[in-house]
Amino acid sequence: MEQTTVKKEEGLVTGKVAAGTPKGVATCSITVNGKSYYVPKGKTILEAVSSLGYSIPTLCHLPEVCSNASCGVCVVEVKGAKSLLRSCVTKVTEGMDIQLASHRVLAARRTNVELLLANHPKDCLSCLRNQNCELQSIASLLGIESIRFTQTRKKPFPLDTTSEALVRDPNKCILCGRCVAVCSEIQGVNAIDIMGRGTKSQVATFFFKGLGNVACTNCGQCALVCPTAAIVEKDHTAEVWKALQDPKKVVVVQTAPAIRVGLGEAMGMEWGALVTGKMVAALRRLGFSKVFDTQFTADLTIMEEGHELIQRLTNGGNLPMITSCSPGWIKFIEHFYPKSLSHVSTCKSPQQMFGAVAKTYYAEKMGIDPRDMVVVSIMPCTAKKYEAKRPEMMGAFHYWQARLNLLEKDKFYDVDYALTTRELARMLKQASIKFDALEEEEFDDPLGRSTGAAVIFGATGGVMEAALRTAYEVVTKKHLPSVEFQAVRGLEGIKTAEVDLNGTKLKVAVAHTLKNARTLLEQIEKGESPYTFIEIMTCPGGCLGGGGQPIPTDTEIRKKRAESIYREDSRKGIRKSHENPAIQQLYKEFLKEPLSHVSHELLHTHYKERGVY
Amino acid sequence: MNTSVMPAASEQQILEIINRFQGKPGALLGILETVQESNPHKYLPEETLQLISKHTGTPLSRIYSLATFYSFFNLQPQGEHIILVCRGTACHTRGSRVLLEDLSCLLDGSAFLETGENTFTTKDKKFTIKTVACFGQCALAPVVSIDGVIYSRMTTARMKGIIEKLAKGGKKHE
Repeated sequence: MEQTTVKKEEGLVTGKVAAGTPKGVATCSITVNGKSYYVPKGKTILEAVSSLGYSIPTLCHLPEVCSNASCGVCVVEVKGAKSLLRSCVTKVTEGMDIQLASHRVLAARRTNVELLLANHPKDCLSCLRNQNCELQSIASLLGIESIRFTQTRKKPFPLDTTSEALVRDPNKCILCGRCVAVCSEIQGVNAIDIMGRGTKSQVATFFFKGLGNVACTNCGQCALVCPTAAIVEKDHTAEVWKALQDPKKVVVVQTAPAIRVGLGEAMGMEWGALVTGKMVAALRRLGFSKVFDTQFTADLTIMEEGHELIQRLTNGGNLPMITSCSPGWIKFIEHFYPKSLSHVSTCKSPQQMFGAVAKTYYAEKMGIDPRDMVVVSIMPCTAKKYEAKRPEMMGAFHYWQARLNLLEKDKFYDVDYALTTRELARMLKQASIKFDALEEEEFDDPLGRSTGAAVIFGATGGVMEAALRTAYEVVTKKHLPSVEFQAVRGLEGIKTAEVDLNGTKLKVAVAHTLKNARTLLEQIEKGESPYTFIEIMTCPGGCLGGGGQPIPTDTEIRKKRAESIYREDSRKGIRKSHENPAIQQLYKEFLKEPLSHVSHELLHTHYKERGVY
Repeated sequence: MNTSVMPAASEQQILEIINRFQGKPGALLGILETVQESNPHKYLPEETLQLISKHTGTPLSRIYSLATFYSFFNLQPQGEHIILVCRGTACHTRGSRVLLEDLSCLLDGSAFLETGENTFTTKDKKFTIKTVACFGQCALAPVVSIDGVIYSRMTTARMKGIIEKLAKGGKKHE
């Protein structure tokens, strides 16, 4: 921090200028806990003091998304103000004299949190968010030793278990409004809002139908921002433990690209730690018979989707074509823009392609009865749980039905269980695995082989970049000089680029978050879309910022995870999907060629018009 | 007695109401109020809210949030006669609790007092009872409003008389 002396009209004032204040920015002088500082004008008290070495506790505040000022934890005392002020929404003004930790401030913060705790269940020890709960942390931080207020809620609210992906417990809700804001402001989905009034207020859906019965995309961003366990993923760890302990079952696992840059955080490592090898070693120790990679089928997706694009371009198919990897996005378009469904690639997502290939090609190759095979996927995503249970995701069953004379009662899904990063972390902890001490191990062959193009599926723009790497070489039959398409990287909401494929100019766009997806869809529905190919990812930052990732996940953490994703790509020997030898072998031995009959049977799907309800 | 539910506002009627409020601040509240008034049972059915959402572009969750926040909006069909019992402090001290209990008993709805709900409609849809916070008529406590007419210094006996008259389909008021 720089010590400066500034000449002011009223005399010589000594103060400190807030760190990181650019030169030439209008400042104002404030006093914090009796010391004078200059801080940039227009900032909130919360922002202004954070660069002065103070950290005001907050609970409902969610930077970049919302400041509802509902919790009253961030109150500060300002000289001359009638009441305490909420620092998250109060801007600094010239001469403001602020006390951050006066007796009055600390007492008010305690009272406000005690009021929240009055109705909050006291089952921390058996709560899914135990030790990862902002309410618990705040209570501890403020030194709350007893709760003076009695419960006002007479009857507990019922749980919302209607969704395949998420469970809501309104009893644990503190009505901070973060989930409502994220669903509306970031995703533009508006599945939830605060219903009722007074002590009956609760976050709920239209007519209390439950998340499973309204236009919810299962993206799980609500769970990611929830300070407590009021919205959590539907936990499937018990089912997976059971399968792992069943000697009759062959349990294989696939890991999405974004897990290797998120899991380390949940195991106590730094933000964005790249833990591919340790993750593989840990999964083996959990007891999976084979540790495979969703990246294998990410490469496969590029083969199928790339050829679908080329086919649409040459046969006058519906353009722009839009990617189909992100199940939240798929449900979104089915609800809100069903007229545009023909623009979506018919390719299943890599998770589903994996299940279908594992239970056909791999099972056949290894002589495993597909009915005895259990496919578990580790996903950064809650929507994957829903996707796995879509009735059309039984490609392998239909493949075997005639061949093995299977009956309807033998029906099985391609993917049996989809676990989030958070659930895997819980399993690893329960299994007494010392994650940080593990030696790195390699994925199993052949479904564990992947290229750099597959790694980047985990970041927004990655599917586009991977597709361009392959499309360029397939169309031009020339070697791609540089595999990195910087224009489609980064956290900008909508990125666009133009690629020259042998004289054919290909305009592409990449969007993350469903609100940004809306912008591109509105263009399509008006017939004004200038693009040929569009990538859409549901979550901010792409899968690395998915609703199943470790909590917290914010912009800084997303950036760290993205860096690791691109680092992993650059150190891969092969960086183009079509050069993956295991993929080449799969086509030679089984699928024959992209978009073949078997491909269509196993790797492609159709969508459903749902409407808004 | 005819208890069949009369048709709710048509899409065309709802569109007309929405157009009437176009560009006015707080339009949604006005739309909900007018649509509710146009409903023969003075409530907002799910399909009606869906039509309002479709034509105003307001998300369903937002509309439902609004409709559940204001006790003015009804999400259940209302009775032919609406009885509002004031449960404000002055009325409480002058016996409005007993009045409400007697009234509920009279209309076979004592159970609702235990639910914590603030409204009850008889099975035959003849009467709806609602509690309200205050009419601002504290000097005349206890106060009850029946079909929009305020009755002061209400007693159980007097209320019983009015209800019996209304139940027989008699004249609306004393």
